[in-house]
Amino acid sequence: MKFKDYYEILGVPRSATQDDVKHAYRKLARKYHPDVSKDPDAEARFKELGEAYAVLKDPEKRAPYDQMGSQWKTGQDFQPPPGWDAGFEFNGRDFGAGPGADHSDFFEALFGRQARAGQHTHMHAQGQDHHAKVLIDLADAYRGARRSISLRMPVQDAQGRVTMQERKLDVSIPKGVRAGQHLRLAGQGGPGQAGGQAGDLYLEIAFNPHPQFRADGRDVYLDLPLAPWEAALGASVTAPTPEGPVQLTIPSGSVAGRQLRMKGRGIPGTPPGDLYVVLTIALPPAESESAQEAYRAMAKAFDFNPRTQLKG
Amino acid sequence: MNQTNIPFIQGPVVEEEVHLTLVELCQACSADEEHVMTWVFEGVLEPAGESPQDWRFSGESLRRARLALRLSNDLELNPPGVALALDLLDEIAALRARLPRAGGS
Repeated sequence: MKFKDYYEILGVPRSATQDDVKHAYRKLARKYHPDVSKDPDAEARFKELGEAYAVLKDPEKRAPYDQMGSQWKTGQDFQPPPGWDAGFEFNGRDFGAGPGADHSDFFEALFGRQARAGQHTHMHAQGQDHHAKVLIDLADAYRGARRSISLRMPVQDAQGRVTMQERKLDVSIPKGVRAGQHLRLAGQGGPGQAGGQAGDLYLEIAFNPHPQFRADGRDVYLDLPLAPWEAALGASVTAPTPEGPVQLTIPSGSVAGRQLRMKGRGIPGTPPGDLYVVLTIALPPAESESAQEAYRAMAKAFDFNPRTQLKG
Repeated sequence: MNQTNIPFIQGPVVEEEVHLTLVELCQACSADEEHVMTWVFEGVLEPAGESPQDWRFSGESLRRARLALRLSNDLELNPPGVALALDLLDEIAALRARLPRAGGS
């Protein structure tokens, strides 16, 4: 287990007041909140911040944490010294870490027992609804698919210990589903307590990145490279679509960035999305003598200065 | 592999086929009714129906309610703050969608 320096994570000195801690947390939390930030590390950073704040904002946790001394550095191998929390009374109130909260091993080792002491169970309660994200291929949304997915879920046993349990689900992916939508699987969520109904499982759909196609809602985009003469003179070219290759007519005088819309060729539905082909222009390399000759002939044939717009 | 015997679980697409009552929405995102009602009054969620008993939330409300809950828990935002943040996030999403897509992802 690695030590975590919660002061370093929040960027405050060990002498920081509770207000300093709160202030630092709020500022960083706004910056790294995964719903707000586009930073690829945002989710990991935000989790770390939440954990640091959970400890430092709560005097009942901060005091024993401080007791371990300041000689520890983040990433150092660490075992809690025996009796590290002796003399501190925990009442477990006001802390939301139960099954589902995703804390580091370090945090669990120090505060896991304490956090769970505060949980209470409703009798005959309906099971909790669970949420999970599932990655599918764009082609699955075009055709519908059957996918086996595995979910890891924290499960609490009779002694209150939490272990991760893996379970497999065979799920039918309906045709026309889009990224960001949810499937509701009735009765696949948390088990009910004492005869209560099981909760539902909500699966959020996301697409695996595709080398050619990108989806935006119902619409799908494809970059299609053209040779300069195909763009200038017009051409008939083969373009891939998620439903297989199609023959596409390129109008003469096409420029890079032009979008050709293939109506109804996006993700199926009522109405279906469209497929947009975004034209790009690729220059052939001038490696052979004949290719260089052709470029020279072009230079002669055109009175063309692409920089006429540039001033200065 | 004997695939034919595996029962595949089917479920509706929430955004298109599901309308949720107040109780169902609260259950689906583990929020208190009180919270959800405040968000309705702040305009974060716009259910059909007159009184809380008659409210029907669109499937899209599930995403917004979960987002609202995360923002209010994680950033300690009050309901007007949550409403403002959601409006701004919607606006950012709309602006991003208008950016030229050529060559980008």
